[in-house]
Amino acid sequence: MAERKEIARREESPPEARRRRRAMVPAVDVYETEEGVILAADMPGVGPDSLDLRIEDNVLYLRGQIKEVPGEEVRPDYVEVRSREYFRAFTLGPEFDQEKIEASIKHGVLRVFIPKLETEKPKKIEIKVAS
Amino acid sequence: MAINWTWEWDPFREFERLQEELDRLFEWVSPFRTLRGEEVYPKINVGETENEVLVYIFAPGMDPSKVDLSLEGNILSVSGERQAEEALGVEEVRPEKYVRRERFSGRFSRVISLPESVDPAEVNAEYRNGIIMVRIGKKAERRGRKIEVKAA
Repeated sequence: MAERKEIARREESPPEARRRRRAMVPAVDVYETEEGVILAADMPGVGPDSLDLRIEDNVLYLRGQIKEVPGEEVRPDYVEVRSREYFRAFTLGPEFDQEKIEASIKHGVLRVFIPKLETEKPKKIEIKVAS
Repeated sequence: MAINWTWEWDPFREFERLQEELDRLFEWVSPFRTLRGEEVYPKINVGETENEVLVYIFAPGMDPSKVDLSLEGNILSVSGERQAEEALGVEEVRPEKYVRRERFSGRFSRVISLPESVDPAEVNAEYRNGIIMVRIGKKAERRGRKIEVKAA
């Protein structure tokens, strides 16, 4: 019997790998209050366990995965959403307290509250009326 | 500039990187985004299996009771209203306090035609993590059928 050679499989064809890497940019609203900044991001399909929110070197990273995607048996007819990943990053200024960031996600909308440091909050200056 | 010599230079990787950058650019000017930078809301994906047509409506931040979904023949309509500022959780929203405003707000309405094989009598819809998933059965006579090949 002839000797059979195992042909090493290519890890992944480039277009396939690219499609997987390419992430969508979620639409965001950023709103400033006296206490801090509120960020809202549309990430439909992302739940609390498929969301990855982190801070590294003053950059806030938003990452999320669409949890439920159709299986192999579903043949696409019409596609507007082509990726299953979201990614966006924001640089934070020094006026924010990175230790006290709060985040929650509901119905595919992420809400992040980034508080300002106590010393950075606006102070009310009272104006006395001279009588 | 330090160069890492152990890194293997792959000329095809450079093409890929160019392509990736173009992809990102085209994503930004895609037909699903208006010139003001707002995205079309909601985006829709349609797929089918042998027995069903599946519609994914990407509608984050909705109150499901405020979505109107209807199917007439093979025409699916979805409409409703989204107040984007509700997600901020602020009592009184003042427009001048926005630093960035990209999320869709207001009334929306989209109509798409589905494959003609759909059976309007067999529909169910579910809202999860901001996606409305609609499952519609196919008419019995239009379902895929396996044909057996008999040995002579």
